[in-house]
Amino acid sequence: MEARIDKLDLENVMACPDCDLLLQQVEVVRGQKALCPRCGHMLYSAKKDSLDKTLALSFSGLILYLPANFLPLMTLDTLGLEKSGSIYDGVISLYQHRYFFVAIMVALTSLIFPLAKLSLLFLVSLALKLKFYPRFLSLCLRYYHHLDEWGMLEVYMVGILVTIIKMYHMAHIQYDAGFFCFIGLLWVALGSSVVLDEHLFWRLIEQKNS
Amino acid sequence: MMSDFLTAREAGLALCQDCHKLIPWQVQHEQGGAICPRCGADVHLRKPHSISRTWALVITAAILLVPANVLPIMEVDSLGSAAYSTILDGIIYFFEEGSYAIGIIILTASVLVPCFKIIGIVLILLSIHFRWKSWLRHKTLLFRVIGFIGRWSMLDIFVIALLQVLVNFGYLTSIESAPAATYFTGVVLTTMFAAITFDPRLLWDA
Repeated sequence: MEARIDKLDLENVMACPDCDLLLQQVEVVRGQKALCPRCGHMLYSAKKDSLDKTLALSFSGLILYLPANFLPLMTLDTLGLEKSGSIYDGVISLYQHRYFFVAIMVALTSLIFPLAKLSLLFLVSLALKLKFYPRFLSLCLRYYHHLDEWGMLEVYMVGILVTIIKMYHMAHIQYDAGFFCFIGLLWVALGSSVVLDEHLFWRLIEQKNS
Repeated sequence: MMSDFLTAREAGLALCQDCHKLIPWQVQHEQGGAICPRCGADVHLRKPHSISRTWALVITAAILLVPANVLPIMEVDSLGSAAYSTILDGIIYFFEEGSYAIGIIILTASVLVPCFKIIGIVLILLSIHFRWKSWLRHKTLLFRVIGFIGRWSMLDIFVIALLQVLVNFGYLTSIESAPAATYFTGVVLTTMFAAITFDPRLLWDA
């Protein structure tokens, strides 16, 4: 077993995270992705200009973040009574009704983690773009990796749609600025995680450290 | 069957879970694990105590699932009278209204997904325990699907948070969250952590 490893160049060898199979890395071109031959895990795919695109999208996300979460999403109008609310108001309302655990979870998944993800991604891609390698760079990328599934903007978007359909017959709905900003934020945030090439980012960090 | 394949562990290599770097595994690492030279994360051959942690979390989730479905999740006050509705009541409401698409989305996100996750993880854990070596590829796919769909169960909680803010017209009509919301959020949290603590490579080790 040891002899086989010596023959392989450790730089071009990778292991499947799902089944631990040792694999030789291959080049993929645009539109291709590398799958594990044993368990079918998507190992990596070809991504062009990942660094520039990630930087641009995460920056746009940060601009949209405040209006998307703090401006009212929509206004309901029933019998002359009007009520509007933002995503932030949803958290505060849960808190005021003493559902602390639910309020914290909603705050984390819809407000705090999406912001943390965008900020970390922006920081890392900006630093790599400027060829500036502070020590906390790898820590930032690690935190991003762990937070990835805990930001739930797209789930919230479906939640907004369900709310609209629920209220459609009962009240007149007027869509406010927050609604459109949120759709923008969702697209940009999803885009930033799609264009991010974690393998490339780690390689760039490693090149500098060694 | 496995002889054609060489795993990283068999080759004396450990995979960093954070940055996916391969690290030569040495005997002295057996005690407390290694530190990844690239990203600084703790590296282990397999996630530590994966099976027992996953069992603990998935059993907790199964217990929380009962109050989450039996207790009311939403309170609708209208002209002084309060009506409570459970998750299932909400789904039935949409089907009666004729909004089948939304009914199916909520049924999937809040009932089918949590049940599917718990049953799926238990199946995978049992298959490791009894060393069932068939359908490995499908079981890995099952685990991947569980990891992907987990977060979608938060849907109902987000809807209630929004409704509580928007439908608040004082005495006329208002919507408030009810106790099941806490239990349901607990189910989402524990099942997501169960998927994180589980190490799918254990399926292939058997």
